[in-house]
Amino acid sequence: MDMTHDAALRCEACHAPLMPDDRFCEECGARAGADPEVTEPGEAGCELCGAPASALDADGYCSVCGMRRRQPGSRVEVDLVLAAAVSDQGRVHRRNEDAFHLELVDDAVVAVVCDGISSSTASNAASRAAADVAGGVLAAAVRDGADLADATAAAAEAAHEAVGQVPATSRADLGSPSCTFVCATCAEDRITVGWIGDSRAYWIAGGDARQLTVDHSWASEQVSAGVLSHDEAAREPRAHAITRWVGSDAPSGPPQIVVERPAEPGRLILCSDGLWNYAPSQELMARLLEALPAESSPVAVARALADTALARGGHDNITVAVVDSPPRRRPQA
Amino acid sequence: MMRFVAETYQNEYLAVGASEVNAVVTVTATGDGGGAAVAPDPAGAAEVVIVDTSGSMSMPPGKMNAAKRATRAAVDCIRDGVGFAVISGATNARSIYPAAVPLAVASDETRLAAKHAIDDLWPGDGTAIGRWLTLADELFSTAPGAIHHAILLTDGQNEGETPEQLDAALARCEGHFQCDCRGVGTDWEVGELRRIASTLLGTVDIVPEPEGLTADFTAMIESAMAKRTSDVALRLWTPQGAEVAFVKQVAPTIEDLTGRGTAVDALTSEYPTGAWGAEARDYHLCIRVPPREVGDEMAAGRFSLVVDGAPAGQALIKAIWTDDEQLSTRISREVAHYSGQTELADAIQEGLEARRAGDEATATFKLGRAVKLAADSGNDGTMTLLRAVVEIDDPVTGTVRLKRQVEDADEMALDTRSTKTMRVNLAGP
Repeated sequence: MDMTHDAALRCEACHAPLMPDDRFCEECGARAGADPEVTEPGEAGCELCGAPASALDADGYCSVCGMRRRQPGSRVEVDLVLAAAVSDQGRVHRRNEDAFHLELVDDAVVAVVCDGISSSTASNAASRAAADVAGGVLAAAVRDGADLADATAAAAEAAHEAVGQVPATSRADLGSPSCTFVCATCAEDRITVGWIGDSRAYWIAGGDARQLTVDHSWASEQVSAGVLSHDEAAREPRAHAITRWVGSDAPSGPPQIVVERPAEPGRLILCSDGLWNYAPSQELMARLLEALPAESSPVAVARALADTALARGGHDNITVAVVDSPPRRRPQA
Repeated sequence: MMRFVAETYQNEYLAVGASEVNAVVTVTATGDGGGAAVAPDPAGAAEVVIVDTSGSMSMPPGKMNAAKRATRAAVDCIRDGVGFAVISGATNARSIYPAAVPLAVASDETRLAAKHAIDDLWPGDGTAIGRWLTLADELFSTAPGAIHHAILLTDGQNEGETPEQLDAALARCEGHFQCDCRGVGTDWEVGELRRIASTLLGTVDIVPEPEGLTADFTAMIESAMAKRTSDVALRLWTPQGAEVAFVKQVAPTIEDLTGRGTAVDALTSEYPTGAWGAEARDYHLCIRVPPREVGDEMAAGRFSLVVDGAPAGQALIKAIWTDDEQLSTRISREVAHYSGQTELADAIQEGLEARRAGDEATATFKLGRAVKLAADSGNDGTMTLLRAVVEIDDPVTGTVRLKRQVEDADEMALDTRSTKTMRVNLAGP
């Protein structure tokens, strides 16, 4: 999750803004610039000193400057059969600053996805803390039969506090620890979704994908206010800048909450922008899902989506949680 | 067939902006099995025993006879087929057996003849160690390809030649043979003999009583006969922009190799480690690298031993930058241990130097620090030697008093053996 953009750089394919060190466009995955030095991942030489690929050893260490090629695909998976989540480091970032929490509570599923903000310090610890704490609050609420909208607000509040406790490291140039937040509780006949920032939730049913969340981002606010069209806003350098986040320096306020009562079985997807950057609209997300076999399990869907984001550049950390709804009953023991 | 296995112990995590990478590399050489790399059996061995026959060897009576006994015992330990010679060293050096180059080949017959020649040794004249070493070098040159090992026994200071002459002889001999040095009695100079032993990749020790020489000589020859590979080099690659702060052997003894590197190419240097038998040695390396960004990982160094031109026992030294202070502030147990052992040796040598100079405050402080470090690391051998020089009030805080009466031999033993380290317990938590 990058909060700043350099207005001077744009993707030649889709005109989306680019970071100075972008090798691929976050929006469309196109290769950035016409620089002949930029090659496909896997063929590339040393990123630091420019030594050719032949100078890298089997482990990716450069024999000239010693730098190790960033390792693609460091990945965490959780498969709970009727729900699954995958979090992948991606091809470019040097660590995974996303985190998720996925838990079965009786027949309900609690899912949380958080995306650490890379311009802040200890963002990996922030997202981890937020996801864990919020997941715990929601699971307890399901067990207690509490109101899930109230629980969602309480979970976000607990996440704020937990991230506030994450120690900031010594880098004075970075903001305090912070992350985005999206959670869903899929229980009985309803799905309760809460979010802060631009991690998203989609409802998938009958070949359609519907975005349940509205990004707390500059572009999204301009479109909502009727100031700019979606395309105009997307071309602005600060389109991606988020306006709300979780952390001690965040604007205060409860999470935005929607409650969905699905009329037919379907699937809920939570994801970080590492996925949706490669399918920014719900139509593009639907197209991604259409390409998958109809009977794909949640874990197969989560893997396929993460793989797609990787194949299109893997510019950011990629996290995706998939929950079947209404949850199929677990086989009786 | 020798096998070498190297392992790296370090905290590879560096704080933002940090540039110093510390690592301990342990090397275990075994005769067979286990390891990845292999060295062939050596072409052969060559042994030269150098006995001080200067006039001072006649005092006290019995010293010369003890040296003769020890030399005879050493000759008895030389394996059949090994090239050997015995040098009588005084103002001039003389090969008493064989009478001229080349080296004799060990057999029952030649060993007996050598022992007869040893019986005829007679003390007289001065001490010019450079000449002794130069003659040994000439003798070794007649057995190219063999593992060259010498024993040097002296009882006095090198007064028969200038320090420059000794330096020139050492420069000529360096890399040609290894030399274990022994001082008998207390009239020799620790620093001088240590310099000779270090340059020639050998050990140095005191034998306070002449009676102890036979056991010591026997042990040295047996160790030399067990060496299987000669001229093993420590090769260190560091990345562009990096700087080698130091390379030290830290076990079994401390030897600073930093200044002894020769460049192989722009990024690689080789440091001499001499001959190896089945044994373990540990190295502490410190490399300064240009700081990188959080999350970056780099190879800060590649360690290997070069045996007959082929790399063996390779180890990678890494650096990973992190903003997680819990990771970056941790200190590797092995690095901490050997930093402590190095400080222990320094504290002893500085403390004894201050004591000799009459600076009791510095001596008390340094030797107290040494007591604490020896206690902390369980270095009982060094602690025993320290007890002969200081009264220990509290080993935990390093509170000591200097002893008024200290035997010269005790002080010299502490000085000489200060570089002997306690090996880190790698199996522990």
